[in-house]
Amino acid sequence: MIGRSLFGGDASLAALRRASFVRGVRAVAPALLATGVWGLVTGVAMVKTGLTEWQALGMTLLVFAGTAQMAALPLVAADAPVWVVLAAATVVNLRFVIFSATLWPYLRRFPLRKRLLLGYVTADIAAAVFVARYADAPEDERGSTEQVWFLLGVTSAIWLVWQAWSIAGIFVAGSIPGEWGLDFAAILALLGLTLPMINSRPAAAGATVAAVVALAAANFPLKLGVVAAVIAGTAVAMATDVALDRLRSAG
Amino acid sequence: MTALEIWATIIGLTLVTLITRNVFLVLGERLPMPERLQHGLRYAPACALAALLAPELLVQHGALAPTLANHKLLAGVAAAATMLATRSIAATMVVGMAAFTAARHLIV
Repeated sequence: MIGRSLFGGDASLAALRRASFVRGVRAVAPALLATGVWGLVTGVAMVKTGLTEWQALGMTLLVFAGTAQMAALPLVAADAPVWVVLAAATVVNLRFVIFSATLWPYLRRFPLRKRLLLGYVTADIAAAVFVARYADAPEDERGSTEQVWFLLGVTSAIWLVWQAWSIAGIFVAGSIPGEWGLDFAAILALLGLTLPMINSRPAAAGATVAAVVALAAANFPLKLGVVAAVIAGTAVAMATDVALDRLRSAG
Repeated sequence: MTALEIWATIIGLTLVTLITRNVFLVLGERLPMPERLQHGLRYAPACALAALLAPELLVQHGALAPTLANHKLLAGVAAAATMLATRSIAATMVVGMAAFTAARHLIV
């Protein structure tokens, strides 16, 4: 019965959907441990920042964006204005804009509501697993039943594991002693996520400038130092990018 | 933050996620994406994260503390080395927390 309501009544189509869904779950399985740990730490960090259990539950169930949540928490703790928190989270989330451009050829045939839902649940790992699998798919096969149910399998597995561990984190946070410094584990996880993003000279230059400006502007009112740092860092990264391009075309 | 501000932040973050993940899925080809802008967008997240991390790792008791007597910096260096060697966030967190805990107990 559950199978029928999930995968539809048509037997052969249901079999294809189920097989593709399972393939998606299998493809993402190696990443689920990291997802679980990251979810647990995020759950703990939300409560340690001072959110009530209801607020933390609301945040994990609605926002479903670990890096943005983690980026928001130090700003929430520092009593920054809401718009500054949202601005910082938007910048951290800008990578999703590029992912959504990558997914567009696969999802363009679907009605808006389905696109919105699939886009909303497709975060970093899901986008990476999906694109790694289907980047070379022929153009006329893009958005096939097989591909979309594969993506559903990937995102469902991540969503379930993320939410389960995050909620576990919310409820165990209270019994973890403060002196363990588990909120610092969140910073370490953020560090681990950041390093692979610094994979080119422009990115390294931009990140360095952003870090220096953030330190120099640490006492700016309203936590605006973060905003200044992001603008300066991104500008330097883009300028470095352009300069390297010129060097390459000149040499 | 007041409870109201926290809920406003949660709703705002939900919209931010919904919008950034769907920009192209809603606008599709109607939205031109110049290469220069694509490059810029690629670098912005790393810059934002670096800007958030630097004060967490380098400021101690409200002052700049770029020394290994700074527990968080020491742990951050150990964690970064682990990440570069293993590419595993779980290992990075374990080594970083072990270094942090050891530093707290061994270095005053």
